[in-house]
This record gives sequence, structure tokens and C-alpha cells, in this order.
Amino acid sequence: MNSPPLAPLVHHHLSVDHRVGALHLHADLNLSAMWTILFGPSGSGKSSLLRAACGLLSHRGIRFTRHHGDKAEVLQDETTFVPPHLRALRWAPQSDSLFPHLSVHRNILFGATAAASKPRDEAEIIALFQLAPLLNRLPRDLSGGERRRVALARAFAAPGCRLMLLDEPFAGIDRALRDNLLPAMRAWLRDRNIPALSVTHDVEEALQLQAEVVLIRDGRIEAQGYASNVLAPERDRLMLSLSRP
Amino acid sequence: MDIALTLRLAFTTTAVLLVIATPLALWIANGHNLTRRIVQAAVALPLVLPPTVLGFYLLVGLGPLTAFGRLLIRIAGHPLAFTFAGLVIGSVIFSLPFAVQPLVAGFSSIDRNLIDTASILGASPWTVFRRIVAPLSRAAFLTSIVLTFTHTVGEFGVVLMVGGDIPGLTRTLSIAIYDQVQDAQYAAANRTSLGLVALSFLALLVIYARSSTREASLE
Repeated sequence: MNSPPLAPLVHHHLSVDHRVGALHLHADLNLSAMWTILFGPSGSGKSSLLRAACGLLSHRGIRFTRHHGDKAEVLQDETTFVPPHLRALRWAPQSDSLFPHLSVHRNILFGATAAASKPRDEAEIIALFQLAPLLNRLPRDLSGGERRRVALARAFAAPGCRLMLLDEPFAGIDRALRDNLLPAMRAWLRDRNIPALSVTHDVEEALQLQAEVVLIRDGRIEAQGYASNVLAPERDRLMLSLSRP
Repeated sequence: MDIALTLRLAFTTTAVLLVIATPLALWIANGHNLTRRIVQAAVALPLVLPPTVLGFYLLVGLGPLTAFGRLLIRIAGHPLAFTFAGLVIGSVIFSLPFAVQPLVAGFSSIDRNLIDTASILGASPWTVFRRIVAPLSRAAFLTSIVLTFTHTVGEFGVVLMVGGDIPGLTRTLSIAIYDQVQDAQYAAANRTSLGLVALSFLALLVIYARSSTREASLE
């Protein structure tokens, strides 16, 4: 395999000025790193930003574009709205949302079936997320962590991905497994030059990924940059709160 | 003869209603605005109206007194009242709520996140319907089909008003029973009635047996 590229061939730009319930989202997001993390407390608007990118929020105040070299493609603005299924995004939602009537295997293959194409790297993905013993089970027979892994595998196995969206990808997955999965997922995406945007409120996860971090609070971007820089104050605050009696 | 006609009417009505009710129920289930609530109320209207009221309006509506009726007469070449086609139109309107309501309930109970996730994974709206919505609404479809079918088999007022009582053409089982009782043929009326009871019971049994195996498999 060639040495992995440091930057994705495709960039995305998302700008949102939109009210979601009580929260006023006001953010300008440039996704030019291989992995960008939205970091912030619950209710700060992280998931809403992902939903905006997917085309699940109402149209006003959202602009989402894809840049490939000099070419720019508008996925959403005041006059354009590309429906979710044509945006070439793949996502693992926070709620898992596994299809309850389909086996684990059929869940994983859903994107390929929908596109009427051959599943891509099926065996590799099943191995990556350690799902081989679960393939014939139904979602209701899985534990929370197992469901999470199926949701991730389903997103990875869907063909035609230009941007991977992962909402709290490791919620419910134990630490040892996460430490295994994280570098493997990153390598997998790098090898295929697929940029990722993930959401977390776990400092350790963000530091481990050494990704571009966007710090969000109350619907606004507070800081953006390399993980260890942006999250240093966050880490200190955490340490301080842990050392207090 | 009457039973063949009744079954033909019930099958035709159920097939027509499945085609009409599915998109209508999807539309009603997918939003909360006032227009949808108005349509939903209009669809449910046959539940509360006396069948004779509906039959009367249909008789007038299908006849030459209205523009719609004249159009239908021009298309069909003859008035639709007192024909099988007129009977189907009457049955479709009268059974509409029985077809639509179970589907609306079924579609509304599907987790919205599943539909969103499927479309972001690349599934077109038609694929989402075929692979997610329809399989998760199987029980709702079955209820809708069985209720429509049995309700059409059992309807009396609308059929009598719109169809008249023409043997072999518009006389269904429920009307035949009425005629048999009028003629004091109680034994014949008994046989026909028993047949209808058996048919309806069987249909309902299908629904309940299915829903109980479903619950058992979910445990």
C-alpha cells in the first residue's frame, strides 16, 4: 500500500446559521483534514451539525459544499437541496438505528443492496469490527456495544462514500476494544482517502485520534486546531476536577 | 351466484383500495400540518355517516345531475349507478377508512431515525419504502386488507342504494339475506348468514393469530 495521504482529495464546507429548538447554531466548518472531531458538551449542537450536513434539518440558513480540486459542488444552499440519499455521505447515528427486521449481515450490506452494487470489502469490515460470530443474529439479540459496532460496520460497508459521519462512535464500547478499533478505522479510511467527521465529548478519544478538533459550545465554534492544542485547557480542567476532593 | 359476485366485489375493492390507501396513508403519516388532518378527517367520515347518506350522495354524484357524473357517463358510455363499476366506486369510498387507518397507524409507529439512516446510506425513497417501511408494516397491511375485505363483504346500505338489487349484477350476499327474509325463506337466509359469519370469523382469526405469533416471537 502507498503511503497514506495526509489530506483528503475532497473537502467539505458547512456553514450553519439556524435555530434548533432553544439552541442557535452559528458555525462555519471547514473539513479539510482526514479526520475532524466535533468536541463539546451535550446539547452544544454537535449532532445538529451532522444532521444539517445530512439534509435532515429544514433548509434555511444552511450551506454545504463539496470541493474537489477547483470544482465545487453545492449540496445545499438557499436554492439547492440535494436529497440525503444522493449526498454520498455515510453515517453511524447516535441512536444506532439498526433495521430491526434484518439480520446483522443484512444490516451491514444495506448500503450495497440499496445501491444495487456489490458489497465493498465485506470480509475486511466484518473482521475489522469483529462481527463474524454475530452475522445471523437480529439486532434485538445484541448488546449495546455490539449494536454500536454493527452501526459502524454498516456505514463503512456502504459504497460510494465521500464523507464518513460518526456520531459518538464509541459510546457503549469498552475501552480496550475502542483502543483497537480506533487506529484500524482511521487506517481503513486513510487507505481509501475518505475523510471523517465524528462527534464526541470524550477528551481521551479526541487526543488518541490526533485529529483536527473543533470545540463547540452553545452552538458556536470556540476553537479549532490540532487536538493536543485545542484540548489542552479541556484536559487541565478535567484533571483539576478529578484532583479536587 | 351471489357469493361469486360478493367475492368479486370484495377482491376488486380491496385491490383498488390498497393502491389508493398506501400513498394516502404515507402522506398522512408523514406530517402534522392542518391539510393532512383535514384529509384524515374526510377519509374517516364514512365511519360515522349512515351508509344511506353516502349511498344517496353517490347515487346523485354518479348520475347525470352533476358534472362529475356526466363525465363518468361519457367515459363509461352509460350511467354507473346500478352497475358493478358503480358498486366498486361506492365500496371503495365506504371502506376507505378501514384501509387507510391501520396503515397510518403502522407507518406512524416506525422510528423516523430508521428512515433517515436508510436514506443517508444511499437508499432512494422507493427503496426505503420497499426495504424498510413495507416490511416493518406487514401487520398493518394485513389488518388493512382483511378489514377492507370483510367490511366490503358485509356492507348493505351503500350497496343497496347505489347498486339497487339486481340478481347476478349487484345483489351481494348481505342483500340476498334481506331478500330471503322478506320472502320468508328463513332456511336459505340462515345458510347465507352462517356463511358470512364463518367468513368474517376466519378473516379476524387470521389477524389475531398473526399478531399473537408476532408478540411471541418478540419475547
